[in-house]
Amino acid sequence: MIQSILDAISLGGLYSLAALGLGLVFGVMRLVNFAHGELITIAAYTLVLTTQFPLLLSLVLTIFVTALVALIMEFAIYRRLRGVSPAIMLVASFGLSTVLQRVYEFTFGALPKSAVVAPSLSGVVKFAGLSITISSVLTIILAVVILLAMGYLVERTSLGLQLRAASADFRTARLLGVRSNRLITAAFVLSGVLASFVAFILVIQNPVVNPYYGLNITILALVGIVIGGISSLRGAALGGFIVGVILSGLNTLLGNGRVYSYTWLFITVLIILLVRPGGLLSKGSELERV
Amino acid sequence: MNKKAFQADQVSKSFGALRVLDNVSITINPGEVVGLLGPNGAGKSTFINILAGYERQDGGTVTIDGHPLDGLSPSARAKLGVARTFQSGRLFSKLTVAENVALGAIGLGNSAKVAKERTQSILEILGIEKLSPYQAESISHGNARLVGLARAVAAHPEYLIMDEPAAGLNEDEAPRLIHALESVTKNIGCGMLLVEHNVKLVTDACSRVIVLATGTLIFDGDPHEALKHEEVKSAYLGNAGVH
Repeated sequence: MIQSILDAISLGGLYSLAALGLGLVFGVMRLVNFAHGELITIAAYTLVLTTQFPLLLSLVLTIFVTALVALIMEFAIYRRLRGVSPAIMLVASFGLSTVLQRVYEFTFGALPKSAVVAPSLSGVVKFAGLSITISSVLTIILAVVILLAMGYLVERTSLGLQLRAASADFRTARLLGVRSNRLITAAFVLSGVLASFVAFILVIQNPVVNPYYGLNITILALVGIVIGGISSLRGAALGGFIVGVILSGLNTLLGNGRVYSYTWLFITVLIILLVRPGGLLSKGSELERV
Repeated sequence: MNKKAFQADQVSKSFGALRVLDNVSITINPGEVVGLLGPNGAGKSTFINILAGYERQDGGTVTIDGHPLDGLSPSARAKLGVARTFQSGRLFSKLTVAENVALGAIGLGNSAKVAKERTQSILEILGIEKLSPYQAESISHGNARLVGLARAVAAHPEYLIMDEPAAGLNEDEAPRLIHALESVTKNIGCGMLLVEHNVKLVTDACSRVIVLATGTLIFDGDPHEALKHEEVKSAYLGNAGVH
């Protein structure tokens, strides 16, 4: 029971980080960056391909590579599409996602890459007569630390204030002189950093990385930011957490019937959206974009 | 040419066949508070949109300190010292009053420390420092107007264009606005252009008034004289000639 609760909280924390990465970019660009999954994938590849290095160095390399790919996405594709409709941006992000999957397949091979990342963190500890996986405890600690750090950045710093203002009303923020391109670049870098930590937690639990590795969690994180409130960073984090907790709870409750977990998850999501169409923390969606 | 002034020289604008502004020239001197009056359709909004960079004029030029502003974006003009407030307020409803005001300074590249100091100072000047921690959506309409003014002033503009600052204010709130404008003039010293329908507010707060009617400047002088001016009275009664 304790392990199930820890699993639910850790999965919630993980999805919360993924949703926050998506929410940061959506906030300043009104772009649902479907290719966020490919940031998680490249981070996972980097982690499993650098296991010969000390863990900290491997993690720093991963953050650097992932943030770089995020910047390339922004400079090569999205910056050139400023001013087009959200539908076109969404299609572009689908296209970019698919292209990157092929690039990963060509670069790393179609067969999965596998290596044990941080083996000391993948075991089980005995505590008060209970067997608890280290990874679930680590995930909770890491998620709490990163969410607190992000909370500080967003709530207490000048960059965070500009991000919140731009998320709420991008046009007015620009009229006040907020440098939109610099802000969007910062959002992409931060989303890359968050994707790196998401990948780190994922590869400890599942070190078999293929070109579609980040796809599943990205779809669920998207669901999270919709139910949390698409124009609110707090809503994105909360929505991601809720999706993770519900999914973990369903997996535990349904046992052998867990194949229906996603069905029940989306039924729950539909009910939430019928009751709160704008999301749990949002008053309504905004169509304004760059 | 006065090198310190904010000037519009022979500004013209048409929308299709409709001539909205016809060679309008004005000068605002440093620290001067000028009212811009005119009936609906006089071209006031188009004129201030051109001054602040939201629309481009067909002819004429806009300068500050002698530097042409033509073709510059609103944010670029803000960096050169021309700020504006909006009739709709455009406050960030979920941000606190202090955060809204700080953004006025941060947007122009000031550090968080400078923004915080300016915010504190301006909220005190306007007498609304107690509102600092409240979310913008929770304050009254009158206070929201003052916060919008504070945010614009936080940029330390040389000239501030205010779009109907008294719109929607009740009888108790309007005098507070006039007092706030006096405080800004006294403490910050920026020149102001007030676009207003409230004639009493303009005569109380402004040292000079400009009146537009059907895109033409018909009066530029003392506010009390404007009220006696035949063409101004005629324009407000809807009998302005077609220019």
